[in-house]
Amino acid sequence: MSTIPRRTLLAAALPVAGGLVVPRRLRAEEAAEAYTLGTLFPMAGPNAEYGTIFTAGAAMAVKHVTADKMLARPLVLRPEDSEGTPQGGAVGMSKLVNVDHALYVLIGFTGVSKAAAPIGTRAKVVMVNGGGVGPDLAGLSPYYWNVIPLVPDEIKTLVPFLIARKLRRVALIYVNDPFGNGLYKALKTDLTAAGGELVAADAIAPSDQQFSAIAARIRTLSPDAVYFASYGAQQAQIIKQLRDAGITQPLLTYSGATIPSVRNLPEAEGLIITMQAADWSTNDPVTQRFVTDWRAQYGSDPTTYHQNYYNAVRLFALLAQQLEKAGKPVNGDTLRAALLTTRRFALVGGEGVFDDLGDISMKIVVNTLKSGQFILAA
Amino acid sequence: MLFLQLLVSGIETGALYALTAAGFALIFGATRIFHFAHGATYALAGYAFVLASRFGLAWPLGCLSALLVAIGFGLLLEELVYRPIQRHHGAFFTVFVAAFGVVIMVQSLIEVFFGRAFVAISTPLTRAREIIPGLYIAEVFWLAIAIAIIVFAALGAFLARTRAGIGLRALSENPDLLRAFGLSARRLSALAFALGSALAVPGAVLGAATTGLSPSIGAHVMLISLAASVVGGIGSLRGAALAGLLLGVVETLVVAFLDTQWSEAAGFVVLFVFILFRPSGLFGAAVAR
Repeated sequence: MSTIPRRTLLAAALPVAGGLVVPRRLRAEEAAEAYTLGTLFPMAGPNAEYGTIFTAGAAMAVKHVTADKMLARPLVLRPEDSEGTPQGGAVGMSKLVNVDHALYVLIGFTGVSKAAAPIGTRAKVVMVNGGGVGPDLAGLSPYYWNVIPLVPDEIKTLVPFLIARKLRRVALIYVNDPFGNGLYKALKTDLTAAGGELVAADAIAPSDQQFSAIAARIRTLSPDAVYFASYGAQQAQIIKQLRDAGITQPLLTYSGATIPSVRNLPEAEGLIITMQAADWSTNDPVTQRFVTDWRAQYGSDPTTYHQNYYNAVRLFALLAQQLEKAGKPVNGDTLRAALLTTRRFALVGGEGVFDDLGDISMKIVVNTLKSGQFILAA
Repeated sequence: MLFLQLLVSGIETGALYALTAAGFALIFGATRIFHFAHGATYALAGYAFVLASRFGLAWPLGCLSALLVAIGFGLLLEELVYRPIQRHHGAFFTVFVAAFGVVIMVQSLIEVFFGRAFVAISTPLTRAREIIPGLYIAEVFWLAIAIAIIVFAALGAFLARTRAGIGLRALSENPDLLRAFGLSARRLSALAFALGSALAVPGAVLGAATTGLSPSIGAHVMLISLAASVVGGIGSLRGAALAGLLLGVVETLVVAFLDTQWSEAAGFVVLFVFILFRPSGLFGAAVAR
């Protein structure tokens, strides 16, 4: 067996080692002068579509904050791929905290959040969720805030709508993870209390791709409506396979299905969906600027996910600006104190009001999907 | 009736699994290359079909595009990745890592060109109709069965009756002896990749219409192909085909008895049972103890 001379090995290793050391030093210097905001989104795998959407909203906010010179120091986004899994979330969060020294992390997905929150809490790094809606995300940590209403709020809005339309017998397909299990409990409790009935609750794995068997089983139960709670590519697969299998009952879901792959799916026509109220025609200057610039850049209307992550970055800028003016340092503790003191912020969609847990309240509406557009149903 | 409905769904799923798994088994059986990028072939073929549809091409042309992309990709991989590794006596693990890298690269390229969203072809062929009370069948079911039967019959005849087919079967046994009969191991290896990659196309095209595609679909396909190859017997084409069918049926039928979340796990229970009690698979060579 041939051996590599030690000198050759060292010569080969030097550039590699240099490459590792120099960017780290540069990063450290950069971090010292800039506010580092981490993003912990799924950037690969079946949920990668969300990562693209979340990042676009945050990037526009950074652009606006920079253009307005809101802060004394520049703002940089450091992305980490959470892969949409708890494991990916824990690894990504550790890197953002320990290597990138992020002081504020934008996060999404319930499982990812629950895995990353202890790491962020230990380091007193603020984590802001604009995409995950699992019930457990309320009060997850003093440093974990939600700029998105959570799914119990969506269920509370949906159930009266269902009862009013005599859609009392509901079959549920839900992803077997913290989000799905939380939604299952909330739907069962609220629906039963309102006089409805959950006639089936089929748990699926996040990796499942075949739903024809579930469709066959649900068909035999003849429910009034079918609720599905999943995310990413799986949502479109569920809708398509249910419709292909002859399920004609109304399909119900939550705000996670506002992504283009669902909106543009012909089989999704008529989908009933709960989501944040989004009035892009409102007159407040923050919303108007966001919508105008968004349309100019992307040629379409933003989604509520874009809005949420824009708001998450804007919230940081508003808090940090306040701290800078007061001559205070910007860190997890001071940001939290500033949030709880101020409570009300001018955000996209109107004034955002935060409660003691750091959760925003927003109006939820029931929409229906018609020709790729979400139209108010109730 | 639920049982019959689930059986029908299982056969449709299994037919697609069988076709895809057979491609992997054919390549591994002939060349002994662990072609982990077979799932990437499936993804590329599916996306080529979707792209052709978006350009308004008729479905035969779409299928042809998918076929060309799949075969081209298979041949390129064999020529540019696997052969150089084997030339330097690369280990099994090296081949696996290289193929794994290709899978990630293909996934990223698909994300760049097609986006990260789910894509599917909407066609009336996938809409199920009530054939008898309580039993819903879509035309795609008959199509999947017909394609599987035709493809396996044609492939069986090719492998049994043509010189190239017999050469393919002999390739894994004794490449040196092939030369004595005037056959080129290199060409036969390329043929194995071309045929194996082509076998991913029907599954990919029908998959684009039934379950839809996402850039990461290849990983799931590869998992099924691998499980079917082990259950069927490593390298056995008919074993992989039968095992693919079996996995599809088991995955679906289990829903009649257990919670739906055990559906995919049931297929892998079958895999473990075979590994424990019949490691040679359905049609594999006996394992020496």
